[in-house]
Parts: sequence; C-alpha cells; structure tokens
Amino acid sequence: MAANGVSRSPGRLSGGPGRPVADGKDSKEERAARQWWPSSRPPSRQRLALSLVLFGYAWLAATTRPFTFMSLLVVLLPGAVVAGVAIWGPPDRIEAPDRLDIAGFSWWLVIIAVLFEWEAAGFRDNSPWWHPSLTELVDPIIAPYPLRAIAFFLWLITGWALVRR
Amino acid sequence: MATRVITIIGFCTVIAALVILEIVARRPGSRVPALGEWLGYLMRPKTGRVLLLAGWLWLGWHYFAR
Repeated sequence: MAANGVSRSPGRLSGGPGRPVADGKDSKEERAARQWWPSSRPPSRQRLALSLVLFGYAWLAATTRPFTFMSLLVVLLPGAVVAGVAIWGPPDRIEAPDRLDIAGFSWWLVIIAVLFEWEAAGFRDNSPWWHPSLTELVDPIIAPYPLRAIAFFLWLITGWALVRR
Repeated sequence: MATRVITIIGFCTVIAALVILEIVARRPGSRVPALGEWLGYLMRPKTGRVLLLAGWLWLGWHYFAR
C-alpha cells in the first residue's frame, strides 16, 4: 500500500497529481460522478443559456453549404473560441484520475483500433461502394437540415466538454 | 451488396461496442475508465490537450466544412 490511500499496484498508467483511481470502494460523491443516468438536479441557468446559444449557432451554421468559405468559417470560429477559452480562461476543469487501469483502458484501445482499421481499409480503397468509409455512411444521415444542425450542436458541446477536462 | 452490408454491420458493431463499454465503465467499482475519465487523463499534459482539441476541430472541418 502507498501513502494518501492511492493504490500503487502494478499495471496502472501513472500521471501527475490527481484523484485516486477507483478501487471498488467509491465514496458517495464518486459514485454519483460515475452514474450513467442523468442527474436529477435541474441544469443551471448558465448551462441552459449556453446550450441555447450553442444550439442557435448550430442552427445557423447548418444553413451553410459544404466546400464554401462560410462553412469553413462557422467551423473555425468555435475552434478559435475553444482555443481561446483553453488558453486564457479555462473553466473549472473536471479533475482527471491520476492513474488509469491498463487492463480496463485496453478495451477502449482495442475497439478504437478496430474502428480506425475498418475506416482506413475503406479509405485506402478510395471508399468503393462495397466498402464505404464512415464518412460516406454518415454524410447522407446528416444531410437533412435538422439533423445537420443537431450534429453540429453535438460537435459544439463535445468541444465544450473537452475544454472542461 | 453483401460486402457493403457487412461493412455497415461492422461499423454499427464497433459503435455499439463503444456504447456498451461506456455503460460498463459507469458501473460502480468498474476497472474500465469512463470516456470522460480517460479523455481527461490524456488531456492533462499540454500536448495531449492540444492534440485532442485539434482532433475535435478536424472532425468538425471534416463533416461540416467539406
């Protein structure tokens, strides 16, 4: 055992200071943070306002046509905002674990590697009809305007979620 | 036709596996880190942070600008 209640068992990737890895004896707060159902607390006004702004932006951005300057601009603008927030005004960051269980994390690595290989195989063959790339399959799904707006909104909130970590 | 269907099934299987893994990760006492946890771990160093945010931007460019 190690000091500060942090497990130092082998097979764990280690980083800098952070919260201890879960050892099956999670506190009430840790269990609440790991729950997979939505929180019962109502979202704050700030969060609702931010969501509305982002959805409004997504709704407008979805009107742009691909391969145009405007479509590039509506993507670069949130990128610049996220970069600015990350550099100059990061919000309260969600504390990351100081260690990851290698065995547990390897499941993610394997599945993501399979996804990349499947996509790369289609891309290598120039996305033929018999082995389309993921892009070829997703593009028709997000082609309708409402779905495109929703997809753009999901992309925006993903960026916000990333900058908070 | 069959090969195209197999490709689509393959993608759907992988995406379903990711969703199931996230559900498993959120169970109490799970050894599998949740998506937010390992993303946060990777984003702790500046390099990881820059790379992941750049990847997010690239996804947006790939699906919405081109």
